[in-house]
Amino acid sequence: MKKKAQVSDRFRDFDANLTTRPWIVLGMGLRRFEKFFSTKNKIIMGLVVIIYLWTLAFDVLLASGSENYPCVLRDNGDFFDDDYSGPLMVEFKDCGPLTYYGDLFTGGGIRILIVSLAAIASGGMIGNDMTNKSLHLYLSRPISRIDYLIARFIPVFLLLLLVTAVPNLIVAAAMWSDGGLKTEWITGHKWLIVNIFVQGIFYSAAYSIIGLTFSTALKKESNASGAFFLFVYGTSIIAELFFTILKAFGIDGADGVLLISVSHVLDMISYAIFDIEYYVQAGFAPWKVDISDTEAGAVFTIIFTGCCGFMYWMILQMEANK
Amino acid sequence: MIKATNVTKKYGGLKALDDFSVDIPEGKIGVLGPNGAGKSTFVKIALGLLTATSGEITVLGEKLTKNTTNIRKKIGYMPEHDCVPDEMTGVEFLIEMGMVSGMSLAGATERTHEILGHLRMGEEKYRLIGEYSGGMRQKVKLAQGLIHAPELIFLDEPTSGLDPNARREMLETINGLTEVSNTKVLLSTHILQDVEMVCDTVIIVKDGKLQMQENVEKIIGKKSNFIQVRIGGPVEDFISELKKKKITAEDDGRALIIPYKNDSTYDQIIDATVKSNCLLYEMERTTQSMDSVYQEIIE
Repeated sequence: MKKKAQVSDRFRDFDANLTTRPWIVLGMGLRRFEKFFSTKNKIIMGLVVIIYLWTLAFDVLLASGSENYPCVLRDNGDFFDDDYSGPLMVEFKDCGPLTYYGDLFTGGGIRILIVSLAAIASGGMIGNDMTNKSLHLYLSRPISRIDYLIARFIPVFLLLLLVTAVPNLIVAAAMWSDGGLKTEWITGHKWLIVNIFVQGIFYSAAYSIIGLTFSTALKKESNASGAFFLFVYGTSIIAELFFTILKAFGIDGADGVLLISVSHVLDMISYAIFDIEYYVQAGFAPWKVDISDTEAGAVFTIIFTGCCGFMYWMILQMEANK
Repeated sequence: MIKATNVTKKYGGLKALDDFSVDIPEGKIGVLGPNGAGKSTFVKIALGLLTATSGEITVLGEKLTKNTTNIRKKIGYMPEHDCVPDEMTGVEFLIEMGMVSGMSLAGATERTHEILGHLRMGEEKYRLIGEYSGGMRQKVKLAQGLIHAPELIFLDEPTSGLDPNARREMLETINGLTEVSNTKVLLSTHILQDVEMVCDTVIIVKDGKLQMQENVEKIIGKKSNFIQVRIGGPVEDFISELKKKKITAEDDGRALIIPYKNDSTYDQIIDATVKSNCLLYEMERTTQSMDSVYQEIIE
């Protein structure tokens, strides 16, 4: 009896010692990030492993060496006769950290894997909470709706950062090693490290927020993942198709069409970070795109804030209607 | 505990709460009303999940116009609908909810096992929630509301969808857990017996307005001036005999309800029974039930 009373006293006098909102949000985010690496998420782990193996194989082991890293000047002369020097002949900078985000046929990269990973990781992130209504329980805790959205953004963002900025940094480290591990190489390439990070943040943030928006709008995990993938690739294909047709017929405004594609907007920002001109591979040739950094930045801002606003509104509607 | 002053909440043209004012004392409070009366809206506003269109509300001494998230450290919430994820075990879910409330992993784990112990959940706490019965899911839902040792818990229709046995068990659990943890309760329900079993005070809401606020004991304890009589034989003759004594009798379908004036009324009833050749099976003073009070107010 005495023991029972002690148990009850301890239960009644329990001090939960609650932490503050930022720590709650960070904790929620990190726990979800950790869950990506549980045995239940074999597809996610598999994609991460493939991305790393791909990077190690093609960007480190089979790379041409540190003399062509990070950027090399190229032209599209392969498409013309040797004596051709007309207006279609262009020179462009080809940078490793930029082509990394490209598609396979552009000589890069792993875009399809990153987009697939973003689609799968974000698909059920908010949608599942809305479907099983546990969202109400989360929002009855000492966090706001924005805190909840941040907590759901963090894991997808970190996962994407893990397959964007981190492998790119590994490539940079490999090139530094290839260059003899000289201190001068590092001091001369500090800008590269910063650019790789900023670039990774932009890609990861954009794909995360769009993925979460599809999750919120469609609720069902598989539908949201599929719709996100189709949205990113669909708009990209449509934009490139129109861009090529308009360019072929010499119609003005072709460049603006690319702004409907989120991958092209991200590429534009990425090229702006590296301070080089943006060329689009369309119709087997690179085309210079005349879109200002401000325009690309404005579209990115509209996408990001639009997605946040939409998710907030959806959650608000769900709460009001149970 | 909660003070609402002229609170109005509109959903488009519909007024869920209409100039609602109430001063709820500390303890176990029942918010009673038919479906659509505005109970859940009031709970959600008090929790800071919804913003009132106008009016002011104070919970545990803090105004809800600002600081709505911090107040939730002191409040637990058990929603009406099923909202526990199937793919987690009971333990995993409660630890997660504890940590989302701001507890440390160690604190949440300790509290989880203590609460589940009080709920008499053994090995099943390690099973997936998807495999739980309706009653067990309700218990887990209650436990998540108490995990962070709140001062006050809002229970929104906690017995909804439960069979009579599970309902009784749930109410006993609520009583037991809130008593042992010294937690104040705001129970929103449309089931009268839930309020009778758990609450000290009842608030009746209809069409978004406060209809009544009364102590439950007082309502139950109020003896009304009626005697319930069950007889066999010619009932019409019995009623006629009573009429001669200037006593009225009303048949409620189960028994005759006769107004009590004083103890001589008993003698007059016995006399009427004898004179009308009826058999007297039962005669007793009735207690006014919550049901009759509620029906009176709602109708």
